Amino acid sequence: MTERESAAGYPDPWRSRIRTAPLRFVATLVFVLGIYGLSLYFVDFDLVRLWGGLPRLAHWAAKAWPPDTHELSILSERAIETVAMAVVGTTIGVVIAAPCCILAARNLTPSRLLYAPARWFLSILRGIDSFVFALLFVAAVGLGPFAGVLGIGLHSAGSIAKLWSEAIEAVEPGPLEAAALTGANRLKVIAYALLPDVLPNLSSITLYMWEFNVRSSTVLGVVGAGGIGQELKNSVDLLDFPRLFTIILIILVMVTAIDQFSAWLRRRLV
Amino acid sequence: MIVTAPPHEPAIRIVGLKKRFGERIVLDEVSFDVAAGEVVALLGASGAGKTTLFRCLTRLAQSDGGQVFLGEHAMRALDRRQLSRARSEVGLIFQQFNLIRRLSALDNVLVGRLGSVPTWRVMLRRFPHRDRQLALAALDRVGMLPYALQRADSLSGGQQQRVAIARALAQCSRFVLADEPVASLDPEAARSVLTILRDIARERMIAVLVSLHQIEFARQFADRVIGLRAGRIVADRPAALLAEADHRMIFAT
Repeated sequence: MTERESAAGYPDPWRSRIRTAPLRFVATLVFVLGIYGLSLYFVDFDLVRLWGGLPRLAHWAAKAWPPDTHELSILSERAIETVAMAVVGTTIGVVIAAPCCILAARNLTPSRLLYAPARWFLSILRGIDSFVFALLFVAAVGLGPFAGVLGIGLHSAGSIAKLWSEAIEAVEPGPLEAAALTGANRLKVIAYALLPDVLPNLSSITLYMWEFNVRSSTVLGVVGAGGIGQELKNSVDLLDFPRLFTIILIILVMVTAIDQFSAWLRRRLV
Repeated sequence: MIVTAPPHEPAIRIVGLKKRFGERIVLDEVSFDVAAGEVVALLGASGAGKTTLFRCLTRLAQSDGGQVFLGEHAMRALDRRQLSRARSEVGLIFQQFNLIRRLSALDNVLVGRLGSVPTWRVMLRRFPHRDRQLALAALDRVGMLPYALQRADSLSGGQQQRVAIARALAQCSRFVLADEPVASLDPEAARSVLTILRDIARERMIAVLVSLHQIEFARQFADRVIGLRAGRIVADRPAALLAEADHRMIFAT
C-alpha cells in the first residue's frame, strides 16, 4: 500500500462544504440583494430628485453667509439650556435606573420572579425614544424644556439600567462570594465589595449617556420641548438661513466640546 | 488504613459525607477530623473531589448524606440564619485569592469584619476603631503592614494570598479552609503562604484544612495528610509517615 492510498481513508469534512459552496454563495447574494431592493423601494430612493434639489441647497448655503450673530447671547443661552436638559434628564434617568438595575442584574436580583418583569419594563423605556416621550409630555405638561427633561429621563433610565446591569453581571463572582461568606448581608456586600469594583464603569456609562443626551436634546426643540432645537425649527420655518447657520455652528461646537470633555473624564475613570 | 487519633478535641469533624452529581459519585463516605491547631493537607489529583468537599463543608454545595461538624455547628442541620453565623467563623482561602481588586489591602482585610459591623457603618465605610486595629494587626501578622494602603490588584500573587489570610484572621476564624491556596504561586511565595498558615494554626488554635497537589508541600507543612482519590479516602497518615507508595496510590489513574 502506498502512502497516498493509506491516507485516503478519512472522511473529509470539507468535501461536502466545497461542493455546496457556489450554491450557498448564490443564495446569500440573492438574499442580500433582495433586502436592498425592497429597502430602496420603500424609501423612495431617487438620485434624480437629489440632483434637482442641489441648486436650491447651494442657493440657501450662499444666502447663509455671513452667519447672523445678532442673537448670539440668546442662542448661547438656548445652548446652555440644552446641556442643562441633558444634565437634569440624565440624573432623572440615574435615579430611576439605580433600583431597576439591582432587579435586572442576574447576580443581584433578590428574586428570579422580579428579574424578567424588570427587564421588560426597561426594554419598554429603552424602546421609546426621548423624542416620542417628549411629544407626549409636551401634551401633558405644556411646551418647554421641562417636557424634554422628562422625555430624556424616561428613555435614558432604560438605557442606563440595561448597561449598568450588564456591567454588574460581568463582575467576578469570587470576591463577592468571599465577602458574603464572612456573614455579611446582601446590602453590605453590594455597598462594600461590589460598588467600588463597578463604580468607575457605571460612571463612565452615565457620562456616555449624558453625552448622548446632549445630542438628542438638540432636536427635542423641534417638538417644542425646549433647547436650541426650538430656535433651529423657527429659523427653518422662516427661511432665515444666516441665523440657521449660526445655530448649526453653535450645536457643532457644543457637541464637540461635550464629547471631548466626557471622553477625557471617562478615560480618567477607568 | 491507619487512622491517627487527633491530638485534641476535633474542631472539624466530617462523618460519612456523600455527594453525587447525577449518577456519578463524587464523594463516597468521606470521614475525617481536624483538630484545633492542626494543619491537615488534602491531597488528590484534579477531579478527585477536593473542591466539591470544600464546597460541601460550607454548604456552598448541597451534600447527599453524612454530616459536617464545624465546632458545635452541625452544618447540614442549620437554618439560613444559623448557617450564616457558622460561616462567619470559617476563613476561606481561594486559589484566585478573591480580593476586591480596586480596594486597598487594608480594606480587603476589613471584609473579614463585615459580618460583625452594623450595616450603616459598612455603607459609610466607618469601621469602629477596634475593627481597624484588628485588621492592621492581621496585616502585620502576615507581613503586609507596609502595603496596607496599596490596591489589591497591584500586589503580587503571594502578597495577595497573604492579604487573604489576614482577612481570615481579622474574621477571628476558628476554622480555615484553603482550597489550592498555592496552586497559582511560585514555590517561594507558596512556601511563605504555607508557613503563615501553619503558624497561625498553632498560635490561634485554628483548625486548618488545606488542599494541595504537591506532596512535598504536604509533607513539609501539614501535620496530617488525607489522600483523596475518586471521592474516597485512600490514605490518612501523619505527614512524616507519608510514603512513596501513598503518592502512587493517591495520584494513580
